[in-house]
Amino acid sequence: MDTNQYIEVFLDESREHLQSVNDNLLKLEKQPEELTIVSEIFRSAHTLKGMAATMGFEDVASLTHQMENVLDKIRNGELVVTTEVIDVTFSAIEALEEMVESISNGNDGKKDVTELVSKLEKIENGSSTHELHESTPSKTSDTLFEMDEYQSTIISQAAEQGYQVVQITVQLNDDCILKAARAYMVFEKLENKGEIVQTIPSVEEIEEGNFEQDFSLLMVTKETNTDIEKVIHSVSEINQVEVSEFTLEKANNNEKQESKPESVTPDTNTEAPQGKQKQSKTIRVNLERIDNLMNLFEEVVIDRSRLEDLAQKLKEPELTETIENMTRVTEDMQGLMLSMRMVPVEQVFNRFPRMVRGLAKELEKEINLEITGADTELDRTVIDEIGDPLVHLIRNSLDHGVESPAKRRESGKPEEGNVSLRAFHSGNHVFIEIEDDGAGINRDKVEAKAIENGLLSAEHSEVLSDEEIYQLIFSSGFSTADQISDISGRGVGLDVVRSKIESLGGNIIVESEPGKGSKFSIQLPLTLSILSTLLVNVQDEIYAVPLSAIVETMLLDETQIMSVQGQKVIDFRGKVVPIVSLREIFDVPRQDESKEENAVVIIHKGDKMAGLLVDSFIGQKEVVLKSLGNYLRDVFAISGATILGDGQVSLIIDPNALVK
Amino acid sequence: MANILITDDAAFMRMQMKDILTKLGHQVVGEAENGQDAVEKYQELQPELVTMDITMPEMNGVEAVREIKKINPDAKIIMCSAMGQQGMVVEAIQAGAKDFIVKPFTPDRIKESVEKVL
Repeated sequence: MDTNQYIEVFLDESREHLQSVNDNLLKLEKQPEELTIVSEIFRSAHTLKGMAATMGFEDVASLTHQMENVLDKIRNGELVVTTEVIDVTFSAIEALEEMVESISNGNDGKKDVTELVSKLEKIENGSSTHELHESTPSKTSDTLFEMDEYQSTIISQAAEQGYQVVQITVQLNDDCILKAARAYMVFEKLENKGEIVQTIPSVEEIEEGNFEQDFSLLMVTKETNTDIEKVIHSVSEINQVEVSEFTLEKANNNEKQESKPESVTPDTNTEAPQGKQKQSKTIRVNLERIDNLMNLFEEVVIDRSRLEDLAQKLKEPELTETIENMTRVTEDMQGLMLSMRMVPVEQVFNRFPRMVRGLAKELEKEINLEITGADTELDRTVIDEIGDPLVHLIRNSLDHGVESPAKRRESGKPEEGNVSLRAFHSGNHVFIEIEDDGAGINRDKVEAKAIENGLLSAEHSEVLSDEEIYQLIFSSGFSTADQISDISGRGVGLDVVRSKIESLGGNIIVESEPGKGSKFSIQLPLTLSILSTLLVNVQDEIYAVPLSAIVETMLLDETQIMSVQGQKVIDFRGKVVPIVSLREIFDVPRQDESKEENAVVIIHKGDKMAGLLVDSFIGQKEVVLKSLGNYLRDVFAISGATILGDGQVSLIIDPNALVK
Repeated sequence: MANILITDDAAFMRMQMKDILTKLGHQVVGEAENGQDAVEKYQELQPELVTMDITMPEMNGVEAVREIKKINPDAKIIMCSAMGQQGMVVEAIQAGAKDFIVKPFTPDRIKESVEKVL
């Protein structure tokens, strides 16, 4: 079978199931008695196994199969949930994730799973010695029906109301040809006599004639067995009919695990189990298509601004009106399209509980991870990139931040450390914070290290505030951990984290209080592709300044510009703000000597500000950010380019580079 | 012993069917060669039982069943189908046909069917 067309769906669904197993395992660890969770995990493993086998990924299938065996025993009360079981299952899940990733990278997803399989087998068999002595009832051959919740409810209700439940097996003549039509006739006859609850094979299969000469069904009825037999025999080509009474107890052999938790906690279980996720109508769309749509839309935006320019020139009221309307519509479209690309940050956060659990064990620390705002949405591209930096920061908090239980006790803190991971929206940005209640950053150590590494001079260090010193940990070649552990502190790291975040258009700062803990805050833009900008003139060239960075615009008198140590500054609301001339920075040729630069755009980065000296302001414009391509990477203070309405290319300024 | 109307567009099939039914002791009161014909003859002859081919010109068997059922909701009709007409057969049953037999017929099968329906 050609399975290539299904691979995307397979991967998506596999990831979903692995994630659900992950979540449920963590839950199970906290409440090992909860068998509904085991059933959930079992179901996911089972689905995975089926999918993998269909797709021909043998290793995935064999590992999930063995997992399923263990889970099945737990589900049936033959095995107890121990830390060992959870650990091994976690490593199995890890291996499965690796395999799925390898498949998604176009490989065959092969991996040596024999060790894991044998570990699982050992659990499965090893504990079978203290198997519960409740003898597993032999499968009675006369019942093949497996009930789901709904069906067993119907059956038990029917019994209460004086209906009887019968199991009917109908055998057709050997020479019967149109079996489906014949079966249809049987069903039609029976429909007047009661309600058919379940059939084997399924109704669909019977309708397609996919059965040997016989089929079975379960129905709720008030008729007697002989009456039913008679009714069925009135149909031609029926060889044999068997009607027998059916009770739930009979079925319980097969579906013990399902009915058990039900009977123990009848309906008190208002909190629906994980598996019953809220149903929303969704379709899966390849991200590429949305990107294509976005690209096309960007072209529309460019044409729109061209039209806007034309309308301004022609001054035709009807045209202007139409274009204004189009502008509104396209703005709505843009919002929608951006929201399509938005994914909850949950996708990234999901993997952390397990990671923290594993790390805490390894480091012999007790750590409680608290996640809030997992439903905060971020642009897909940002989501894809933000995972690694976050992993690094969390590792960092666990390793360097939270102290060992002994140390914590000494300093009067609870032994269990807290790490919180928070995400929230604010304005045009999303913030992600990682806060721990550990030892905090030691200013002296950072200072000493920075001086040692030549990042700082001794006398300069005295002027700097704590905050400023802390930011040094993001400089390259920096690690304050006394001992390099496996987990972090190889000295490559925080600087990589920072550059990654900056490449996403965000920034990171750290706050810390000795003895109380530290907090890393990451600020990320909501979207990356369409920007609101202010267009400015510098001689004959047009530049775009992102609106998000602009504090204010103003016109200056020559006299207001002062000079401090050779640097031009102005007094901006009582603050001394340095002034830079865009003409000088970008080396724009001076066409017209008479043009006097006196317009200033005040931009900010964090608390710091700077003024950009330009010739004149043009106005606000939505522009589409296009990268400069691979040849022109890392151009100073330029983040990209855009095409304006009249076809001119304008460079987009990166304000972060201009504020020091 | 019943009065039966046979419907089939192939004369050969009608002959064969008539033969078998007669041997079983029934009375073939009429033969129709398409659905339209069958509906008219049904009204005229008021047979106790109709055998109905499915694929026929003018009006097919399923439509004919519907028409006849309009005339007499209790009409007893047995469909005669070729292999691979499962869908049509189910449709005919839904329309109210009482049974179906699959070509090629055997006398036993026809006997069983007629007895069950009557």
